Amino acid sequence: MTRKHTRWLGAVGSTILATALLAGCVSTGGEAQGPKEGPDSEGPLILQSRFTDAEKGGLEELVKTFNAKGEGTVKINSIPTQTFNQQLPSYLTSKNPPDVYTWYAGQATRDFADQNLLLDLNSVWDKNKADFPENLASLSEDAKGTKVFVPTNNYWWGVYYFKSDFEKLGVTPPKTWDEFLALSEKIKGEGVTPITMGLSDNTWLASAWFDYLDLRINGADFHQELLAGKKSYDSPEVKKVFEAFAQILPFVNPSTLGTTHNQAISDFSQGNAAMYLLGAWAQPAIPADKKDDLAFFQFPVIDPSVPIAEEAPTDGFIASVKTTKPELTKKFLDFIASAEAQTQLAKGQDGTALPANLKATVTLDALATQGKDMIQSAKSVTQFFNRDAGDAQQTPADTALTSFIANPGNIDQILKTWEDASQKIRANS
Amino acid sequence: MTISTPVRGRRRIKVPPPLVFVLVLVPFLIEAVGVFWPAFQGISLSFLRWNGIGPATSVGVQNYTDLFSDPIFLTALKNTAIWIVLFGGISFLAGLGVALLFQSERRGVAIYRTALFLPIVFSLVVTALIWGAFFQPNGVLNNVLDAVGLHDWTRVWLGDSDTALYAVIVAALWREIGYVMVLFIAGLKALDPSVQEAARMDGASAWQRFRFVTLPQLRSVTMVVISVLLIDSLRSFDIVWAMTGGGPYHSTELLSTYMFSTAFSSHALGYASAIAVVIFVLAIAVIISYLVRALSEEKES
Repeated sequence: MTRKHTRWLGAVGSTILATALLAGCVSTGGEAQGPKEGPDSEGPLILQSRFTDAEKGGLEELVKTFNAKGEGTVKINSIPTQTFNQQLPSYLTSKNPPDVYTWYAGQATRDFADQNLLLDLNSVWDKNKADFPENLASLSEDAKGTKVFVPTNNYWWGVYYFKSDFEKLGVTPPKTWDEFLALSEKIKGEGVTPITMGLSDNTWLASAWFDYLDLRINGADFHQELLAGKKSYDSPEVKKVFEAFAQILPFVNPSTLGTTHNQAISDFSQGNAAMYLLGAWAQPAIPADKKDDLAFFQFPVIDPSVPIAEEAPTDGFIASVKTTKPELTKKFLDFIASAEAQTQLAKGQDGTALPANLKATVTLDALATQGKDMIQSAKSVTQFFNRDAGDAQQTPADTALTSFIANPGNIDQILKTWEDASQKIRANS
Repeated sequence: MTISTPVRGRRRIKVPPPLVFVLVLVPFLIEAVGVFWPAFQGISLSFLRWNGIGPATSVGVQNYTDLFSDPIFLTALKNTAIWIVLFGGISFLAGLGVALLFQSERRGVAIYRTALFLPIVFSLVVTALIWGAFFQPNGVLNNVLDAVGLHDWTRVWLGDSDTALYAVIVAALWREIGYVMVLFIAGLKALDPSVQEAARMDGASAWQRFRFVTLPQLRSVTMVVISVLLIDSLRSFDIVWAMTGGGPYHSTELLSTYMFSTAFSSHALGYASAIAVVIFVLAIAVIISYLVRALSEEKES
């Protein structure tokens, strides 16, 4: 090697050394910062929104109404949902973060509250407490009981089907697991795929099955403890969940791992697949001429001794603790909590959202009424896998569920891997 | 004139004109802010455990030791190696092959060249969409197999861990071969035809002419192609991400996609930075070995 090269490599070496010395220069400290004291700063309140074009109509109307009140100006900053979800930690930890955000209740919010990144919204809650159902109060709290979240709406999950398809197949919605298996068998006999899922691009949809099977077999308490890391994924209880999952695998579209959600919806709408476990958010994707035909049934009961729990993911708003306009933020969120605002917001959501404020006046269609009754009659509600367990836990769950669908025989290995990965994420984050 | 020459010589040694400083310092500063500083931060992050929101804790080299007991990382490493061999190797051979085939100006050859080069104009995400439709369960490929009576051969190409990686490589090759072909054609055009003629006169067979005349002359182009292919293999991300997202169950994960999902789905920024450093080391090793060879060749000539 020539001297030139030696010198060059020496430069690389000293670069690496300098880098090692610089370790720790990144601003990675947790920032415990109190809310701003004194009067609000000037300028509009920034509302960072993840709503898609299809959803944001109601929000825009609501902001217009608020701005017309003359208490201050709110500006919506729309971000694509995926980007928003990934970037929210960066927004909240930045020096001058946006003030208000659309977000999800439960662990998803608690992750930020634990780091003191969210504004105390007790005063907003005190004013509006009477209008909200009891269980939303605890969902909106951090570990110390401070309210940090203003709920706007929730929605339901159910096994969707088309009434005309079920008629043609000569079946009726099942109530119990045995009925469900018998019905799937019959549908398969007619040459129709009983159950579909679009897992190639929306892998997380498989966790809906995991959630419901666990809720029906082990109950909501076990489920919450499991997702919080207090129980393990390789426990006998979870294995029972997968035994039930194995019972339906013969009825699931065999190419589900290579099918996109759009393709699955199209198979479902065309009658090639009979049932799809979905949240209400999926309803707008059904072709308009099939909408009246759409129906859903409650996830069947497996063990009658286990109290019924339902998934009812709650959406709402959070605010940054670093906002320079805490007064205006609280005024705006106070408005968000009102029946008037929630009525407006729900209008933009195509009948798939149930307002959190009990006084909001929304005309619910048949599906929404059924969904609302289902949630209200449930003994407890959960938020969905990633919202209860924290977003970071979704990837190992996806891996476990998809590899189980491909190789159900590997169950022990799969659950062990899941537990290891889950623990590692808890240790790493 | 006799006086001015030594003066000019001395000035050249003393201080270069300010323009030189500007030309060196401005790009250096831009690089420093835009490249070196983030790279330093990335490396320093790799010694931490940090979720992006809470306080970070220092863990020393644990992120690195963890990597080698992480089955997904090992899959990603293996897949990256497969990717380099298959994607890089086939691109090289096929690119060289079609370049030799289409180098001469015959009638209609431009159509073939354009057809092969056309995929480059699509972005990788569009390429992924096209090939996604081709490979989907009721897509073109399975329909064709069905139509010719090969129903047993149909697969859920992108949803089967045995086939997904190779399906993505096919899509990536479709785009890369045209690019490599263009590089080789440019190299072939620059060769002196009289050397070929001389070899022919001496009675060299077509293979001998290729092996002992064309290939050695193409050496500098070959070096460029190999390094381009290695770097392209290591930075491949978009087409995998768009076609499979690293799935099903991490079977198509490359180092780059695993780094991305570790950072932005699992929020393990320290661990993701350690993966990034591994990619960086692999890339820099490739570049250094390339530079060393290129420089020593320069000296030879």
